[in-house]
Amino acid sequence: MPARNAKQWDKIPGKIESGEYVDSRIYSDRNIFEEEISKIFKKVWTPVCHESELSEPYSFRTMTVAREPVMVVRGADNQIRAFLNVCPHRGNMIENRPSGSFEQGSPSGAPKHMTCMFHAWQFDMKGNCVHISRGSEGYQDRLACSDVGLRRLRCEVKYGGFVWVTLNDAIDQTVEEWAGGAFDCMEKSLNSEPLEVFHYHKAIIPCNYKLWHDTNSEFYHDYLHYHNRITGFNDSYFARKNIGFDNGHVNVGSFEVQYDQYEGFESREELSFPHLPNNHWEMIDFFPGVNFNLRGSALRCDIMTPLGPDKVMIEFRGLGLKSDTPEERLIRQRHHNSIWGPFGRNLHEDLLAVTTQQATMSEFADKRRILHGRHELDADGDPTIHDEEGMRHFYDAWGRWMDRWPGDPELSFEEGQKREAA
Amino acid sequence: MSESMNKQVAISNVIYKASLFLDEHRWDDWLNLCHEDFYYAIKAFSPEINYDMIYMDGNREDMRSITDMLPKHNSDNSPLARHTVVYTVEMDESQDTATAVSSFAVYKTELDGINSHALAGESNIFLVGKYRDKFGFENGEPRFIERVVQLDTRRLDKGSHFPI
Repeated sequence: MPARNAKQWDKIPGKIESGEYVDSRIYSDRNIFEEEISKIFKKVWTPVCHESELSEPYSFRTMTVAREPVMVVRGADNQIRAFLNVCPHRGNMIENRPSGSFEQGSPSGAPKHMTCMFHAWQFDMKGNCVHISRGSEGYQDRLACSDVGLRRLRCEVKYGGFVWVTLNDAIDQTVEEWAGGAFDCMEKSLNSEPLEVFHYHKAIIPCNYKLWHDTNSEFYHDYLHYHNRITGFNDSYFARKNIGFDNGHVNVGSFEVQYDQYEGFESREELSFPHLPNNHWEMIDFFPGVNFNLRGSALRCDIMTPLGPDKVMIEFRGLGLKSDTPEERLIRQRHHNSIWGPFGRNLHEDLLAVTTQQATMSEFADKRRILHGRHELDADGDPTIHDEEGMRHFYDAWGRWMDRWPGDPELSFEEGQKREAA
Repeated sequence: MSESMNKQVAISNVIYKASLFLDEHRWDDWLNLCHEDFYYAIKAFSPEINYDMIYMDGNREDMRSITDMLPKHNSDNSPLARHTVVYTVEMDESQDTATAVSSFAVYKTELDGINSHALAGESNIFLVGKYRDKFGFENGEPRFIERVVQLDTRRLDKGSHFPI
């Protein structure tokens, strides 16, 4: 078949159906992006860090969720709480450092308090305001400490010690209910004993966050990776399934990776995670932009913070067991880094691919259809790992949250469904 | 010039030579500057997680394996240029081994990594940090026993397949 002219190029190819592609504008349109922030990211639970990053009372971590500055602190009672990192006085950011401890005083404030450096208003670890500088002189009886305080956020520590936060006070689900069973595949491994983060780096990539989630959700792109081609592609590799859960989450089933097929890689049977068979691999694509990847001896977690329609920050964490000996930790680090590290074999290739993908989808560029219409079944009629059910499941949830049809975002979700049925 | 001074100069030269070989993807030439017990690591301290991290490490054979397999991987082929300045070279008392600290900045000149039409030719700083090297001598020539690339940069974006 020859290359296409404009009219042919614009036509739906072959017998691909309406729910088997998305419109490229969902990756580039600024209005759609803003809607995603308000309709999805401000509403859902998201992990923001791991409890091992707040190992001692008075330790803290800062981050942003849906553009809102957030601070997570461990109180004197060892409980982890989350607040907006915003002073109720003049809106200043209370803590600028990425992490640290409030145990020592700051130039503007007392030890064991969160202090806004601007006017030295102070807050305890529960977010209560405990000091307003020259309060009665300036506010008389019109405003007291009891009238102000930090904006608390709902916060849970769940699934191996990840700290989950939502900006949505009215959310009617716990983290467990929001997960909808997606963690069943690795919950036993994560909760067996305390975990610890040993790897952190971040990437700001010129691509829409969904492109990274897509890449984590589809395994057809194994052709991108020499490492995957050489260590996988056996019967058990194809026998894995994408399993959809409520709320758009997807679990990718396990298989045994043949690491010794890759030159320079030894078998990884020497160390695994509790309750994970050696060399096995379980993965969760968590809606809307988180990935948990338990492979051999290391757990990887990607947390995406969308920064714009064509810009996403991805924080990469690697975790092992808190009880690791130095030798075990080194093995986990090597296993993690060789594939997933910033100088590893696979991560660079994945990030390269989504970058060049977004390069064809700049804002106001002609819309295109981005296909996810593979239905690849095994001899028993079950979908194989190259079936793109995972992405279809994500976009079904995305369309419902956004009330937009992913294949034509100018249609409501219901209109899109009707068109699909027709 | 004293023998010690001669060796210090030779060590500085081999650090600069290594930067050129790495810039030019002359991996075998780079590894030929390294002792057979060579250890290589890229490390960074993360204030986010308060942890000394290893981003990559391996011995000479690991590094050879990685560089030999580069053609089989999809990579951003944008050239990296290492601007290296040797700060200190310190000989041990026996004069048989030495340590050196160099500062480096790695510039990336875009070629094919994003959108070559618009961006090819643009140079940006990719990484900054220190080389912390250990040397021994073979036939009077300095050989890397260890190179620890201590990164200050932790926002690593697409990362790289290439040794730094």
